Amino acid sequence: MRQKLPAQTPVYLFLGFLESGKTKFIQETLEDPRFSSGEKTLLLVMEEGEEEYESIRFAEAENVSLAVIDDKALLTEAYLTQLQTECGAERVVVEYNGMWLLEDFFNAMPEGWMINQMMTFFDSATFLNYNANMRQLVFDKIQSTQLVVFNRFDDEEKKMEFHKVVRGITRQCDIVYEHSDGKADFDDIEDPLPYDINAPVITVEDRDYAFFYRDLTENLEAYLGKTVKFKGIVATDKRLEPTDIVVGRHVMTCCADDIQYCGLACVLPAVMELKTRDWISVTAKVELLKHRIYKGKGPVLVAEKVIVCEPPEEQLATFY
Amino acid sequence: MIKIDVFSGFLGAGKTTLIKKLIQEAYAGEKVVLIENEFGEIGIDGGFLQDAGVNVTEMNSGCICCSLVGDFSKALRQVAETFSPQRIIIEPSGVGKLSDVIKAVQNAGVENACLNAACTVVDAAKCKMYMKNFGEFFNDQVTNAGCIVLSHTGKISQEKLSAAVELLKEKNASANFVTADWDTLDGKAILAAMEKKDSLQAELDRLAAEAHEHHHEHHHGHHEHEECHDPNCSCHEHHGHHEHGCEHVHGTHEHHHEHHGHEECHDPNCSCHEHHGHHEHHHHADEVFTSWGAETTRVFTKEELALALQEIQNADAYGTVLRAKGIVAGEGKWLHFDYVPGEPDVREGCAGVTGRLCVIGCGLNEDALKELFKV
Repeated sequence: MRQKLPAQTPVYLFLGFLESGKTKFIQETLEDPRFSSGEKTLLLVMEEGEEEYESIRFAEAENVSLAVIDDKALLTEAYLTQLQTECGAERVVVEYNGMWLLEDFFNAMPEGWMINQMMTFFDSATFLNYNANMRQLVFDKIQSTQLVVFNRFDDEEKKMEFHKVVRGITRQCDIVYEHSDGKADFDDIEDPLPYDINAPVITVEDRDYAFFYRDLTENLEAYLGKTVKFKGIVATDKRLEPTDIVVGRHVMTCCADDIQYCGLACVLPAVMELKTRDWISVTAKVELLKHRIYKGKGPVLVAEKVIVCEPPEEQLATFY
Repeated sequence: MIKIDVFSGFLGAGKTTLIKKLIQEAYAGEKVVLIENEFGEIGIDGGFLQDAGVNVTEMNSGCICCSLVGDFSKALRQVAETFSPQRIIIEPSGVGKLSDVIKAVQNAGVENACLNAACTVVDAAKCKMYMKNFGEFFNDQVTNAGCIVLSHTGKISQEKLSAAVELLKEKNASANFVTADWDTLDGKAILAAMEKKDSLQAELDRLAAEAHEHHHEHHHGHHEHEECHDPNCSCHEHHGHHEHGCEHVHGTHEHHHEHHGHEECHDPNCSCHEHHGHHEHHHHADEVFTSWGAETTRVFTKEELALALQEIQNADAYGTVLRAKGIVAGEGKWLHFDYVPGEPDVREGCAGVTGRLCVIGCGLNEDALKELFKV
């Protein structure tokens, strides 16, 4: 039974809360002959809802080993390696527990395992309620996923609301709305940025800093060589050159506990008397340069104009 | 005295619906403040609350990464100072621990306030699945509840319901259970169960006291309103009944109170003015009488109950039964029964919070009784 493990094991990760449709989807995937061509598969079940697996209907039932992990304490590299070794799995399919944070799985992933696909499922009936009350868990499951599926989606009017929740977390994933009758449609709602990225000077309003910061880090190419103008808080450090500062804002993604200072390196046109926590209005060209605070290359604001200013009405930047 | 009632339970369990029902049917006329730490899909709309005279304080630490204990204590103190209410209702986050909320209430140091009821609403249809997958916070809500109110019980089979109750009792045997469909219950009956004024133990004590008096032919004046002494019966005023209960205890068993006089209200599961507590029961246990009681979700027919009450006269099999009384789910309407030797009485009546059977007698054979009622 034991055999040498492959150098790389692809992992298919399925996320979502109880009754979101994970089991049904995995069942159907494993029944599909196109998904299986003789590979040994380890099916890790970390949540047991109403739906149960019918392994007899899998396309290659003999190649699938099912293991249940119902205790987070068992989520260790040693145990996962042991499970893989026992069945000689060449790929791993995971139905993850919706109440566990993703980092618990990533920390336990054996060397050689690599995420091949990540999909997140939600039951449309409970999604908004769960998002309002378990924001951190919803955020966690959407943040790095490739596809969000809203199951039992029958209220067309909710589409924009759902869309906004997902897009407030990431612009990278696709979104699918699956109706109860089996029909599905892709989310093709465009999200115009709240500012004109083609303007001679991209002017970021006070309330839009979170969107600006995220889009800049996700799509840096689109900003290189362009001039931006926004308000931010100064951070200085004695170890930096006198003309080097960091300018940024405190951004809240989920709740008060995750507020982070999100700043960018900035080179001043001349030495200025700026202190940490000063508010400035900065107009600068975005360039990709080596900078000490990035320990390598990163987006640097080459400032043309810096004015000390009053803080905005709402100092915290959010994805409102 | 400010009474604090906590309604815990996972998202979608029905906390908001229950609170709304109690505001309408049980808290009417009281000055009530609601502290919300959950953002419900079916929020209680402002107009309704205004009509009911309920003030609302929202706390926005709705997700599990925020520490809520400090916030709750603060919110409680603010609410108590601002509104001087008679009752504070707390709806904590569905993913929070009930024990944390209880601690927060105890540590808030609000003068003259007392944790009156800590109840957890559990969706009967999803209980097993949640228990298995959620672990810590869900189990915390179950184990720390003084009363567990099951929701959506009308939509599932009786087997599934009794399996859910079994699972919950494994985690918390001392809680009071409400298993009846809410639509059939008056909010006052649910509140009495939450406050543990209406529990199997209370009912047994009451029945034992009655049997005791009956035995000695000491009929007291206040038994005149006997027809409404059934705590399970939602068709009468709760406080009316309660006064009767108090009076009864004061009048005939005053000495039982000495146990309670100096006790503080530190037990979250204990309603602070428990008149029918266990101490009294111990007293009765010294008497020649024994009592047997059971809670059940089983559905009975009128015929089988009548038959069981005929059968119960067989002293060799069951012991000498002096009194039996109960309320159980029937097919459609609930069934009330009352038995004194030679006078079995089964009739249809209003719903109780859960099915209950109480038997008082001498040398009772509990196993045989369980067998007889199939519970």
